Amino acid sequence: MRLAAITILGGLMLAGGAHSDELGDRDAGRKLASQCSTCHGRDGYAQIPIAPHIGGEPAEYIRNQLTAFRDGTREHEMMSIVARMLSDEQIADLAAWYSGHKVQVELKQDPSDAPEQCVACHGADGLHVYKDAPNLAGEANIYIDTQLKAFRNGKREHEIMTPIAQTLSDEEIRAIADWYADIGLTIEMVE
Amino acid sequence: MHRKLLSSLLLGTMLVGPAMAQDNMDKLTNMQKTDATFTFVDQSGDRAESLKKIAEQLNLPDGFEASLYAVVPDARSMAMAPQGTVLFAGTRKDKVWSIVDRDRDRVADQVKDFAPSITFDIPNGPCFSPDGFLYIAERNRVLVFPAAEFFFEGPDPAVGVVVAQGELVPEAEESFNHTARVCDIGPDGKLYISLGQPYNVQPIEKIEMYDEIGIGGIVRMNTDGSDREVYTRGVRNSVGQDFNPATGELWWTDNQVDGMGDDIPPGELNRQTAAGQHFGFPWTNSGVEIVSEADFPRPEGVEFVEPQLQLTAHAADLGMRFYHDDSFPEEYHGGIFWAQHGSWNRTTPVGARVMFTALDPETGDAMGAQVFADGWLNEETGEYRGRPMDIEFLPDGSMLVSDDFAGAIWRIAYNPKPAE
Repeated sequence: MRLAAITILGGLMLAGGAHSDELGDRDAGRKLASQCSTCHGRDGYAQIPIAPHIGGEPAEYIRNQLTAFRDGTREHEMMSIVARMLSDEQIADLAAWYSGHKVQVELKQDPSDAPEQCVACHGADGLHVYKDAPNLAGEANIYIDTQLKAFRNGKREHEIMTPIAQTLSDEEIRAIADWYADIGLTIEMVE
Repeated sequence: MHRKLLSSLLLGTMLVGPAMAQDNMDKLTNMQKTDATFTFVDQSGDRAESLKKIAEQLNLPDGFEASLYAVVPDARSMAMAPQGTVLFAGTRKDKVWSIVDRDRDRVADQVKDFAPSITFDIPNGPCFSPDGFLYIAERNRVLVFPAAEFFFEGPDPAVGVVVAQGELVPEAEESFNHTARVCDIGPDGKLYISLGQPYNVQPIEKIEMYDEIGIGGIVRMNTDGSDREVYTRGVRNSVGQDFNPATGELWWTDNQVDGMGDDIPPGELNRQTAAGQHFGFPWTNSGVEIVSEADFPRPEGVEFVEPQLQLTAHAADLGMRFYHDDSFPEEYHGGIFWAQHGSWNRTTPVGARVMFTALDPETGDAMGAQVFADGWLNEETGEYRGRPMDIEFLPDGSMLVSDDFAGAIWRIAYNPKPAE
């Protein structure tokens, strides 16, 4: 067992906010989000383990995933149902609502131990560096584990993630999932 | 809005390195020690106080009282040790919790993770054999812990593998949703495990393969994993089962198809009277046609068994238990309690309550669902205060209700006030 060196990184790491308005109408998104909140919360903090935290996620990532669920290029037994009726505009509105919340993370481990295959896009602290990459901070480890295995076996496809996941063993996947799950996440709802 | 991170409630977090995980399994199966340490869950403080306020808002029949039994993050299916010393609760994450009430004041005083040396993967379903073997059904593995009610005190309990990693279902059929397994030891001494099928409705090309493996079914096997067979066919995703102690018959709940509208298909409570019975899915769901004969022919030589009860659509009927203690009033004896988790995409949310049905003394059939306890759903805002997931009983006959939304286990006891 590795002992957790409790290193609280100074300062607030903020994501989302100001620049997301151009994509959709936040007010319309807030109303639509009542359909999402049982699982994802109104602020995007997941209410059930199988759902990811989506508050403060890059708007582009949310839009791409909702579009993929609607069009059938990504499948999930719940998301495929709720996304199938959404218009492009509604997807943009939801992306604007959820991306606009403020995210704060607390990294408890030494960042130099972060999984090196992941940090270029997802950061050592699980905050996206690249706009089509999701935040991973504080996600349930089983969620990340399940997604990496889906990329590895082809159930989910992405030009960057697929080849990376194909090199990973079950144990490496779990270690990556545990790294990001262990990061503290706080979401501040922005009305 | 600021939200407290769940793990900040826990004292410390541990990271088992990738190589360490298998090493630990090897060590434990050889009864050796590891350097794993426990995670304890604080049972006092702000979190416990706010949960107690939820207990005050629950509605119960006259004479019953609700209280907070334990703070247990993500608490799912429960199993009480045969000697009543410790309760185990699974999660849909990576922990199994041991919950102890040492001073017997009906409030847990210690909650810590069970077998911290083991890397669990969706260990939703714990179940005990009468002689004290604890089985834990994970997403794709089944483990057994002999004498768990004694060994849980240390971080390195003895462990055996009943079904090896990747052999419960083919790895290609693994998912996160619909992989919350539940298990039970039947009157025949065999281990019964539910296997939800991963889709809303499985693709037609997978129907036969799933039927053969028992995905969308309940499988049974010897407790060493041998002689596996499909015991129940035609299930969508069952997350609650129990054997009727009076007859030995298996009863189970099922979760129905989403996306057909707010009021169909109804939820199901099922009674199984023989091995191999088929309950209709994916062709029918509570009598509603899902896959037509034209799309895919029904299996030959089977008649679909209709549900005992048709329940409120989308309310998510999950964990269930027969009542075979005696501290509740007579009308509950021999009946079934079950948890409704609550809907996730119905226009007006329903569920988040504890239901009950008595059984007809002549036929043994369920007589009709009634609400036993509710108040976990705020009807004004449509928001959940909690979501009941499973039912278990303390040795004194009082009820425990696990709640993976609030992160709690509630206790419901019958304490009638003396007559004036």
